[in-house]
Amino acid sequence: MTASAGRTGLPRPWRDRPAVIGLAAMALGALHGCSRSQGGSTVRPDATDTTPQAAASAAMPAEVAIDSLPLGDLAGAAHDTRAQVIRNPFEGQPEAIAEGKSLFIRMNCAGCHGYEAKGGMGPNLTDSYWRYGGLPVSVYRSIHDGRPQGMPAWNPALPPADIWKIVAWLQTLGGTYPSGAEQASMQGDRAGDKVAPEAAATLAPGASGVPNGKSTGAVASPGEARPDAGGKP
Amino acid sequence: MPNAVGLAAKLSIFFMTHQPNFPFLAWGLTVVASAMAVHQLARAANPEPHPVRAAGVPIAAPTGFAPGPGEVAANLAPNTPPGEWTSQARDYANTRYSPLSAIDTSNVSRLRLAWSFADGSQNGHEAAPLVAGDTMYLVTPFPNLSYALDLASPGAPIKWSYAPNPAPTAIGKACCDTVNRGSAYVDGKLIYNLLDDHTVAVDAKTGKELWRTKMGDVTHGETMTMAPFVVGNLVYVGNSGGELGVGGWIAALDVQTGKEVWRAYSTGTDAQVKIGKDFHPFYSWMVGKDLGVKTWPAGMAKTGAGAVWAWISYDPELDLIYYGTSNPGPRVPAQRPGLNLWTSAIFARDAKTGMARWAYQFTPHDQWDYDGVNENILIDVTFDGKPRKALIHFDRNAFAYLMDRTTGEVLQASPFAYENWSSGIDLKTGMPKLIPEMEPKPNVKLSGVCPPDIGGKDWQPSAFSPRTGLVYAGIFNICMDVTDHPQSYIPGAPYDGMEMKRFAAPGGNWGEFMAWDPVAGRKAWSIKEKFMTMSGALATAGDVVFYGTVDGWFRAVNARNGKVLWSTKLGSGIVGQPMTYLGPDKRQYVAVYSGVGGAAMVSSSMPGFPPRGGTLYVFSIDGDSPHGGPSMLETVGAAPAAREDKGMGGKP
Repeated sequence: MTASAGRTGLPRPWRDRPAVIGLAAMALGALHGCSRSQGGSTVRPDATDTTPQAAASAAMPAEVAIDSLPLGDLAGAAHDTRAQVIRNPFEGQPEAIAEGKSLFIRMNCAGCHGYEAKGGMGPNLTDSYWRYGGLPVSVYRSIHDGRPQGMPAWNPALPPADIWKIVAWLQTLGGTYPSGAEQASMQGDRAGDKVAPEAAATLAPGASGVPNGKSTGAVASPGEARPDAGGKP
Repeated sequence: MPNAVGLAAKLSIFFMTHQPNFPFLAWGLTVVASAMAVHQLARAANPEPHPVRAAGVPIAAPTGFAPGPGEVAANLAPNTPPGEWTSQARDYANTRYSPLSAIDTSNVSRLRLAWSFADGSQNGHEAAPLVAGDTMYLVTPFPNLSYALDLASPGAPIKWSYAPNPAPTAIGKACCDTVNRGSAYVDGKLIYNLLDDHTVAVDAKTGKELWRTKMGDVTHGETMTMAPFVVGNLVYVGNSGGELGVGGWIAALDVQTGKEVWRAYSTGTDAQVKIGKDFHPFYSWMVGKDLGVKTWPAGMAKTGAGAVWAWISYDPELDLIYYGTSNPGPRVPAQRPGLNLWTSAIFARDAKTGMARWAYQFTPHDQWDYDGVNENILIDVTFDGKPRKALIHFDRNAFAYLMDRTTGEVLQASPFAYENWSSGIDLKTGMPKLIPEMEPKPNVKLSGVCPPDIGGKDWQPSAFSPRTGLVYAGIFNICMDVTDHPQSYIPGAPYDGMEMKRFAAPGGNWGEFMAWDPVAGRKAWSIKEKFMTMSGALATAGDVVFYGTVDGWFRAVNARNGKVLWSTKLGSGIVGQPMTYLGPDKRQYVAVYSGVGGAAMVSSSMPGFPPRGGTLYVFSIDGDSPHGGPSMLETVGAAPAAREDKGMGGKP
């Protein structure tokens, strides 16, 4: 169900969707979850049935759905193993965003990633370079599970709602990709990119041109480009 | 070991810079007033302007600088063959002085590249290479590879390489880049620390691992970055993690087996700190039982840091080691009322037993992250007419301390860099006099505190020349705006809380390289640097001093007057430590790592800030060496790079 799945002639429900460029449409319309081709069960988390403005508790995506997202999808798997688009229930909500920023400082996140989240001990979270994916749900999972280069797992220290609030704040900083922009995040496409006809012909809808568009990828000073102490790939 | 080093020559040379007929004193009459004005201080807290000049212009002694002839000496033991460099500081006293003199003030301008070696590292290169016999030894930042290079063969090919494969978890636990401050060569072994809290010994002939000792728990924020220091059969190591609420410690391991012999914590009970009946601090406020617990709120000493992440020195006659401890944790002072002993302090310990002999806290209840870890150079001086076994220490808090190393008495403390947190050190009590407005309060932005967390000088070690009696150091001219955010202790996460913005102090320059008169307690000359000056210093018997800048200039300076004799731009910024050695061809070489990183990244948004990338550069007069020339030279190496790399797999 990824672009590569499409090329192999498998069913392509993703191609049948409206272009992901229409993010507003995604936000409004309940996306049907795809039947998982692995793991047996079909997961339809609550999140897909709610709007961002919905009450937080009711809108929380099921943990089991998030847990079932394999990291392999970050590079494009032969079979699309994503269950569905999982949205941040707090996306765009000012109070939640403010709370997320406060949590980011209180829970010592800023100690590693910097008070402006521009990097330090840990990576910059405001650019479009994401080692483990820049979709809101990918960022959620990185916080929830931890990552091997020193990122601690915040589950269960932080309840899911708090993690989503931190993600909601990070989403305002310009580096993340919108929910549903899996292809763009994998292919490095940014808002406003021109798409060559050849590329357009081979890619699934939504494969380009959808990120938040405040990328900090190109700056004058190379030091500024990746100020995080790691400077790692 | 004291017996062995007793044979070592003790240099005792007149403090020649004080000779009235020395030319730079004459230049004093033409001090450029504008340079002084540029350095005028914005705050009254530090009213003495230090004379500073633009690079390349010699500077004179400031008005009123007229001490009588003095004597400053250092014991250069173990002084292994003059052409070798087998520990980071070369000697126990930490002078970083080489007796080699083939490269001197008359020919240093002819230095050219002889050969170079890139190691693919993207992280700060803070170590000096070592040379023992015909072999050079290198250690990289994480993943802490080591290399032996054959100096006797064309191109200095790889003799062996060793990949210890430390845990990647350590990358994200290191506060300030995944640096490593180098190795120690002893008894046919190369000993160094891995970022994931292991100390390893490698056979210097074969590169085979001889022992590997786990020293701490990286998942709880503990890392190791310092260079081991060896005396006799003991190798001393310590931890990093002052920003992650570790319990700081120093430990002694058996050189042959790697077995831990003793460990002394920086906080905790007297038993944990190894304080016993022989402990006699000079000042009364450091006398008492279990002060490493009682000067903390209940339960907080354990996560109070005092990490031991930099340099150790050793006095063979007193049989004492000296080292400093890091900032207290968390970095928010409001959370830890009390002196917070023994953080931001210096310890003198019995080298064999580890029992503390004296201690002194440079920054009591450290509110600004002024670790006390900077190097202590052991010098013998005549002070107030009396001979003193002393040490000179440039603290991050911007004061230069001349201390009696037998007793822990502060003989003199004067600011060497711009500061406004203290109006001076009270020599009667040993306490700094605080300026209340410069004490941060929780959740309130405090503007213009100088120096910032990384200090008036950070870990980058200074050098001492017994020929001039001066100490040479790269220092900073930086301030910060700081907002403290109270923190909870969460294992493996930062226990920090300081939100900072750093900027150049008055004058606009971030860096400076200075020659310090340790007896007079003031600068003899200095060179302003636009970028941070964060390399180690090297002093030689050729009266040349070497240092590098964060933007990548490597400079040679006349040790007596500060005249820049040679500059060359390297591939990346320099935060490594220059050293010099005699090759198998009996030529003198000067080597330095380029590869910016570490705390220098606080200035990474400056226009012109260089990219990362670790490369060793080796220079000789006219670039002459067996490693280059008109003939067809070929690599005859015994081993490939440490990480066999068939594609893009070589990353950490």
